[in-house]
Amino acid sequence: MMKTLKKLFLLQLSVLMAVCLTACSGGKSGGSTEDPSAKTVKIGVLVSDTTSAEALAFRTYYKDYIQSVYNVEFMYSDELKDAAAEQSAIDNFIANNCQAIISFASADRPAQIEKCEAEGVYYAVATGTLPADQYEKYKSYEHYVGAIGPDLPTEYQAGYDMAKHYLDAGYTKFGLFTGASVYFTEMHIYRAAGMLAAMCDAGGGSYAGKTGMDIVGQIMADGGNVNPGKIGNIEINGVVAGYDFDDAWFGKLAAVANDPNVEVLMAVGSGQTAFAGFKPEGKKLGDIDCYTKESVELMESGTLDYLAGKFSASIGPAFAATLSAVYGKPIRDKDGNALALAQGYWVATSAEDAKKYYEVDSSTTNPAYTKDMLDTLIGASYDDFAKFVSAYSFEEIKK
Amino acid sequence: MNSIVEIRQMSKCFGPTVALDSVDISARPGEILGLIGENGSGKSTATSIYAGMQLCDSGEMFFKGKPWKPSSMNDALLHGVGMIVQENGTVPGISVAENIFLGETKSFMKGPFVDRRRMCSEAQDALDRIGADHIRAEAVTASLDFQDRKLIEIARVMAKDPDVLVVDETTTALSQKGREIIYRIMEQMKQTGKTVIFISHDLDEIMEKCDRLTVLRDGKIIRTFEAEEFEENAVKAAMIGRELQGSYYRDDYDGSVPDEVVLRAEHLNLGNELVDLSLELHRGEIVGIGGLSHCGMHTLGKVLFGNITPASGSVEAEGKPVRNEAEAMKLNIGYVAKDRDTESLCLEASIRDNIAIAGLDRIAVNKHFILPANEKKYVQKQVDSLSIKCRDAEQYVSTLSGGNKQKVAFGKWIGRDSQILILDCPTRGVDIGVKQSMYQLMNQMKREGKSIVLISEEMAELIGMSDRILVMKDGSVKKELHRSSTLCEADVIEYMI
Amino acid sequence: MVKLKKNGRITSSALFSAAPILGLILLAAVFLLIAQIKDVNISYSLKNILNQSIITMVVATGAIYIYTLGAFDISLGASMCVSVLVGAMAYNRTGSLIVMLAVCVGCAVCISLISSVLASVFNLPVFVTTIAMLSLLNALVLVLIKVNGTGDVIQVPADAVRDINTPWFKLLVLILFTALCVLTFNYMKLGRQEKFLGGNPLCAELTGLSAKKLSIIGFAMAGLGVGLGAFLTITYAPTLSRNTAASVGMDVIIAIVFGGMPISGGARSKIWSAIIGSLSMTLLSQIMLMLNMNSGVSQMVKAVIFIAVVYVSMLSSKKNILPR
Repeated sequence: MMKTLKKLFLLQLSVLMAVCLTACSGGKSGGSTEDPSAKTVKIGVLVSDTTSAEALAFRTYYKDYIQSVYNVEFMYSDELKDAAAEQSAIDNFIANNCQAIISFASADRPAQIEKCEAEGVYYAVATGTLPADQYEKYKSYEHYVGAIGPDLPTEYQAGYDMAKHYLDAGYTKFGLFTGASVYFTEMHIYRAAGMLAAMCDAGGGSYAGKTGMDIVGQIMADGGNVNPGKIGNIEINGVVAGYDFDDAWFGKLAAVANDPNVEVLMAVGSGQTAFAGFKPEGKKLGDIDCYTKESVELMESGTLDYLAGKFSASIGPAFAATLSAVYGKPIRDKDGNALALAQGYWVATSAEDAKKYYEVDSSTTNPAYTKDMLDTLIGASYDDFAKFVSAYSFEEIKK
Repeated sequence: MNSIVEIRQMSKCFGPTVALDSVDISARPGEILGLIGENGSGKSTATSIYAGMQLCDSGEMFFKGKPWKPSSMNDALLHGVGMIVQENGTVPGISVAENIFLGETKSFMKGPFVDRRRMCSEAQDALDRIGADHIRAEAVTASLDFQDRKLIEIARVMAKDPDVLVVDETTTALSQKGREIIYRIMEQMKQTGKTVIFISHDLDEIMEKCDRLTVLRDGKIIRTFEAEEFEENAVKAAMIGRELQGSYYRDDYDGSVPDEVVLRAEHLNLGNELVDLSLELHRGEIVGIGGLSHCGMHTLGKVLFGNITPASGSVEAEGKPVRNEAEAMKLNIGYVAKDRDTESLCLEASIRDNIAIAGLDRIAVNKHFILPANEKKYVQKQVDSLSIKCRDAEQYVSTLSGGNKQKVAFGKWIGRDSQILILDCPTRGVDIGVKQSMYQLMNQMKREGKSIVLISEEMAELIGMSDRILVMKDGSVKKELHRSSTLCEADVIEYMI
Repeated sequence: MVKLKKNGRITSSALFSAAPILGLILLAAVFLLIAQIKDVNISYSLKNILNQSIITMVVATGAIYIYTLGAFDISLGASMCVSVLVGAMAYNRTGSLIVMLAVCVGCAVCISLISSVLASVFNLPVFVTTIAMLSLLNALVLVLIKVNGTGDVIQVPADAVRDINTPWFKLLVLILFTALCVLTFNYMKLGRQEKFLGGNPLCAELTGLSAKKLSIIGFAMAGLGVGLGAFLTITYAPTLSRNTAASVGMDVIIAIVFGGMPISGGARSKIWSAIIGSLSMTLLSQIMLMLNMNSGVSQMVKAVIFIAVVYVSMLSSKKNILPR
């Protein structure tokens, strides 16, 4: 009996291996040239975060809205922690005949782009943009759709604007949460640098001898850490980083939040998670994140008073560009280069603003970017597309 | 008289092995019923089913005239049927008190906490009641020896004051003191109109203690003897299905041995267990080592095999030191431990694995490679020569009877042609048929010039098999007795106590 | 369930021991069925399954040596991460893939040896030293990344490893390593001794086996698997971070259990468990992906199946109690 079973197994394994190896030497599977609009387009979504409010909001927009109004099916990856996991997820999508991949994961973007190009699958970056050197390399790749979202200068500006908001109001004592800066996440480093730059401008000093964009390099050199200290007459009296979620981490957050020498708490992201639970009344809290029910409630209760938030529908144009490419109408500039468009945040400084933004942002029937709006992007020219994306403010969208 | 225990037409199979075949057993109030049979005859299976340890395939059971179907051993005990098992039945990592009240923690709750003081106090009472007052209820069970752990089990069962007590091959694990405790409990139960089912391989013991004797063989009831019918040869014949052929122990009284010393221990000291102990083992000699359970003889066996390092003194074989097990094996020394299931065998491995493991250096090609054919041949030779009852050599040792397990333990060392064997209680828990074959084997090994250190708590065995007997007490040899037809148990016991 | 059949026909114990293979066949059948229905690119899928399971197969095959001893190494993933980073740094210094391979293997074997030797010296359960090693290695990962000084990653040029990032090469590594393990495990003294030691350490000691020596060799074999896995990881995804190989430790445990390896080790241990288990696990993941289950549901399904497999394996050993 056992021998028979073993034989069966070995036979099966052999067949499996044989088919595998045949497949390896076979041709490509994705990127069919038939008219794709007739059948459901499968799009793989690479995610490195599956639990944050922002990630859930993006997922809701794609799965609950876009999937209901377009003939598309989104396949989401598991939470991707490293480059190998990203490669495996792309393989999974290709195996499942996904025609395009939209990426929210950035462990190894070049490898993602190379792989998709080699396999003939369209690829887009949904939030953020590629560094200039990478864009130069990949902008002409046939299957690289492009990147739409806050670029690094936009991130820097978001941090700058938040800090300026409080500095203008006369506050001088700050506590910071710099999130993933210690993991060298550029987005967070640029936001932190923006905050420090605003302090330099307001306080008349420098951060470790650096001002403006140069602060980015200093943070990088310090291993992603921002150090407490004085910038002119501005004081940074506590800094917490990382996402350890252990007792020591929470302890540090509580200590900074309760420090009598801190008037304003500013976070490069997840500030609601990091500081909101510890912050005494009277202190100010600003955050760069997204619009959720919780954030609105925090604004209403006065716990949070400044929020620069990505709106979930901001990933709509990336989808439209991707679908357009799948339909055989890739959006390219006059030189045939892929999209590289910056997009900013919605900033709320009152509960009313936050509530207004949230209502639109959370709608799965009438979101910020509706089907009608996105339809105008499919097959659009580069300039029209860029114009659409640049008009990202709430007022412009709802005009 | 009505039966308190009644088993009707009970059958049970384990895979292809028929353990019980339509067995009827009954026991009356106020009697001690003996169950006897060779290893694998089904006596433990029948009683363990009655005590709730496992289920039967078919048949009926009654307790006090009512249908009896316990869901577990604990259930059976709570309703009046307790069993003391052959194997170790305690949990090592917890206290004695927790073992005695295993599964009953709820009854000691004081709010959300366990009232440990009350639990220990009641556990100590239970120990004191059976006469095991030397054991402290607070002690960690793992720190106690096999006998004391057995006494804990007895205390656990007796704390529930059962109407029926099953004693399964327990006495062989106990010293005289332990045995006396059990005998006293059995007698008290009998006097108070309760019932004891007593399983033992010791024919003398069982005939002395029991009122009736039921003999099983190959899963079937062969005969029930009333007290007046007890006759040793008749019982033996019923057990093994034939008259015992040939000698049981050695039939010679020649204790002379060659001068050549193959194993020498000098001035061994190890706490209170070994005190300036020296011994010599000659080629072709069987040296018996006897004494009370705590006299240090079991430790001596391990020291001779290099498993325990003495505080001072040395062990040598062929002029070379024995400092660890590997060195001992290189010098062709083998060791069969007293605690068979935990020290001599890997139960969850096959007969092949167990026999071959000690002889890998003999089987290996180019020192390292094991060819399945060579290994199979090596193992099969032992299975055949020792007549191990099994389906094939791939059968797991855990599924073998006690006697066959012991044969496997022997096979490990005989297979690699050990010239010196240290046997610690080699016939503990095996039936007379297997015992006889083991004695014959030892005798044959002696004739082949092999030497044996026979450590035993059975006087008759020591006297019957040894060329010399070293009687140990408090870690040292108190007396050396030479083989003689006039040597009797009293001579040995005199120096033990 | 069939309890007993004579003349060599099916017995329940044979069915239990064949369960992992039957499970794999069943999963393969379900996979093919759903793949047909869901319009999946089967040939690419099969290549993908091979790609994704091969690193787990290699690491799990080596880890069988640890699990056979009834031991457990919680630091496998961290060890692999360190080996990957050190191997990548070695490549970046020398430009030699051979050196990278040697450094990956050497580093992983050294880490394994340190765990087992520490356990021997201090007479601790190996599990305890691997917990300490886990913290140490995690810290080392951060140091390596920081020292290397290029942000949060260490990269090997993709072009350098592209030529060996092929199924053929990976398969060759797997076949060679598995052959080595099968040889040492089934046809050499070493394997027999490891299994016996795992089955009953006390009896093994009284049979002249050196637990320390065997433990050190077992861990070295596991280290070899981790080292090869590290090398293959670099070839597969040459951008390496602190999260590289983070899930390997857990994947290996699940694969080994799926493959029918008893958690307590001992004589029932089989090298093939690693292969069968890894394939089964990947197939299961693929099936759930095809059904577009979200990752939370997938994890729950895996957890339920994991518990079911352990329960069934315990049931099979319970069935063998007390025949005498």
